Amino acid sequence: MLNVAHLTKRYGALTALDGVSLHVARGEFFGLLGPNGAGKSTLMSLVAGLRAADTGVLTLDGVAIVTADPSTRVALGLVPQHIALYPELSAVQNLRIFGQLYGLHGTVLRERVTEALAAVQLTDRGQDQVKTFSGGMQRRLNLVAALLHRPKFLLCDEPTVGVDPQSRNAIFEYLERLNREGLTIIYSTHYMEEATRLCSRIGIIDHGKILALGTLDELLTKLPFEEEIRFPATPTTAGLAAQLPSHGELLTLDGIHRFRPRPDYKLSAFFTLVESLGLPARLFTSQRPTLEALFLHLTGRNLRE
Amino acid sequence: MRTILVLVRKDFQNFFRNKAAVSLTFIVPFAMIWLFGNIFGVNKKDSGPSGIPLAVVNASDNPAAVKLVEALQAEKSFRVWTKFVNPDKSTRPLTEDDLRPMLREAGADVHFALVIPADLVSATGFGLHLKILSNPRNEIETQTVNGILQKTIFTTIPQLLGQSLQSSAKRLIGDDRFKQFNGAIAGAVSSAFGGDKEQIQQSIEAGDFGLGTALGGAGKTPANAADATASTDVLSRIVRIENEQVVGAQVKSPFATSIVGGWAMQFLLFAVSASAASLFRERDAGIFQRVLAAPVTRAQILWGKFLYGVSIGLVQLIVLFFAGRILFGIEVEKHLGLLILVCTFAAAACTSFGMLLAAVAPNAEAANGMATFLIMLMSALGGAWFPISIMPAFIQQFSKLTLVYWSMEGFSAVLWAGNSFVQVLPILGILGGITAVVMTIAVWRFNRGKIFE
Ligand SMILES: Nc1ncnc2c1ncn2[C@@H]1O[C@H](COP(=O)(O)OP(=O)(O)OP(=O)(O)O)[C@@H](O)[C@H]1O
Ligand SMILES: [Mg+2]
Repeated sequence: MLNVAHLTKRYGALTALDGVSLHVARGEFFGLLGPNGAGKSTLMSLVAGLRAADTGVLTLDGVAIVTADPSTRVALGLVPQHIALYPELSAVQNLRIFGQLYGLHGTVLRERVTEALAAVQLTDRGQDQVKTFSGGMQRRLNLVAALLHRPKFLLCDEPTVGVDPQSRNAIFEYLERLNREGLTIIYSTHYMEEATRLCSRIGIIDHGKILALGTLDELLTKLPFEEEIRFPATPTTAGLAAQLPSHGELLTLDGIHRFRPRPDYKLSAFFTLVESLGLPARLFTSQRPTLEALFLHLTGRNLRE
Repeated sequence: MRTILVLVRKDFQNFFRNKAAVSLTFIVPFAMIWLFGNIFGVNKKDSGPSGIPLAVVNASDNPAAVKLVEALQAEKSFRVWTKFVNPDKSTRPLTEDDLRPMLREAGADVHFALVIPADLVSATGFGLHLKILSNPRNEIETQTVNGILQKTIFTTIPQLLGQSLQSSAKRLIGDDRFKQFNGAIAGAVSSAFGGDKEQIQQSIEAGDFGLGTALGGAGKTPANAADATASTDVLSRIVRIENEQVVGAQVKSPFATSIVGGWAMQFLLFAVSASAASLFRERDAGIFQRVLAAPVTRAQILWGKFLYGVSIGLVQLIVLFFAGRILFGIEVEKHLGLLILVCTFAAAACTSFGMLLAAVAPNAEAANGMATFLIMLMSALGGAWFPISIMPAFIQQFSKLTLVYWSMEGFSAVLWAGNSFVQVLPILGILGGITAVVMTIAVWRFNRGKIFE
């Protein structure tokens, strides 16, 4: 459906997107995972036709997305990262305006506005000015404002920033439902939990480059270990830590050692070593690696600085 | 106090971040002073108005009338028109019949005309007869023109006056005896003061009694102000100047009506910065992202803002004129349809400049600075503050490039001259043309501009 090939975008000397290529199929829930400044919003704005790329190919259903040609945008919905609503107007007025920009009118428009408000539990606040809404409420309205025209393809740029866990869940469920009903979604976030929960396929982006692309399982197999053992970095564990690098990868972050054993290094050997050093077993937790670990592995940096 | 200083510093830091605003802070006052200095002609050696258009018709065959026309032509305050230009660019001398339509014409330059009638020197009574036709659009201009016209006439007149005396005498005592009389005087003068009797008699017959000197006339500056006033008083009793107001004579509230156009334009120009600012507000709020993600073009956003600006400007103008109606008796309802039309075109021209500023300025502050400059520039040049004819000729050339000038012409064509739709059409055409050109540039810049980056 969406085809992106060798896309490059510069802001002056800064290269915000550096040869990005990806493909999103119809019905996918595609996650774009990356830290601040990775280029997520830039990619979204190019796909939404807000900006023109410097080089590269960008097509939606085989049709090139051109800034000057509004017709390609009808099938598209954009949830901007920042609240893009008229604060002085009511929720209903805002929704009506954005619906009308897509050519909706009459009963259809009225029904869609009512539905949209209900979908994000804002029915009883419909007549209130948007500026009187809480941050989370504005976020929810910001999301549904992009859905009035029933796009085939939705671009969600970090739609849950500042939303409480309950509302966040409501948004997730809503998006998942829409996705089941056939909506293709690109969802950008810097929360690996969100990407893990929602997305069928994930692209990891940093410094304008796609570092890895695939389903969660595919991505995790890129890690050269299947397990990660964590233990506190204290003087008592220093002796152990000194011995580990010869058996695998050891990273220390936030006072926690993360040991990723090489595939040929047996866990039993590790625990024998622990025992011989007289360290208590409760210090050690073992877990399946996460996207965060993958990001760390790919970039040497944590996803969230 | 510390807190306040921190807050002050914050403002300065913000200010210095904004390169455009910083440079405008220094450029605008400089440009302003330069501009106003030029408009007022501060640097000119001799100040005062120059080149006020004045149509002059000479229907008299008296040689002194030619002298008067020459004197007017020599007066730098006036730009004297004596020729009528045919559509095929050939010319013929102006006649009195040309003057009235000329003064009435919408957007005409000439607001004053002097007629030297065939009976300049009365054959039946003592005195002179002149006629001033006017379309007094502006109090300052009218007074200036009348003042200079009087000065020129009165300094040229003593000779004319002598002729008037001579012809009265001729009528009373008969040609022969009159010659004898003049001869006797000339003889007496030459024997008392010396000089050639023949010459003296000739000059007496030509009407030169030395009145010019006596009355402080003929290009000489009177010794003191009292002399000048005294001579003017004497003269004004002898010279009959007939005044005819060709346009606006039936206007009920002439003063308010003639200047309301200037007020209206001042008012409207503020819409320029307002409409530019609202575009920046929306951009800064990030709303354009959503709007442009919809099937909407940048040009449509600009045109939308434009139409909104025009409607608001129009409503405000109409309210302004109705306030003028209620408070000062300006006759609005008589010309309502045309007035609304002119208001629409004026509002459109103003708003288009606002759009252009939004398209070229990097941010709201810069747009504001540019708007201030543009408002002042166009108001001053266009004659919203003081009459164009009082500005130096060099500056006057630019007046007609401003929408203020043409809008004010439009308002006075409707309210002052009571022109018809067809007569106002050229002005509407010019305002429409300005709007079209400015909007074309604005849309072009907007499509390329940084406003969404
Ligand atoms: N309008 C702009 N002008 C100049 N540089 C920009 C502009 N927008 C983004 N950038 C730069 O481009 C890079 C990518 O920015 P982008 O907004 O796409 O990142 P992001 O992944 O969305 O980050 P975040 O998670 O913080 O929203 C950043 O280095 C940013 O500084
Ligand atoms: Mg972003």
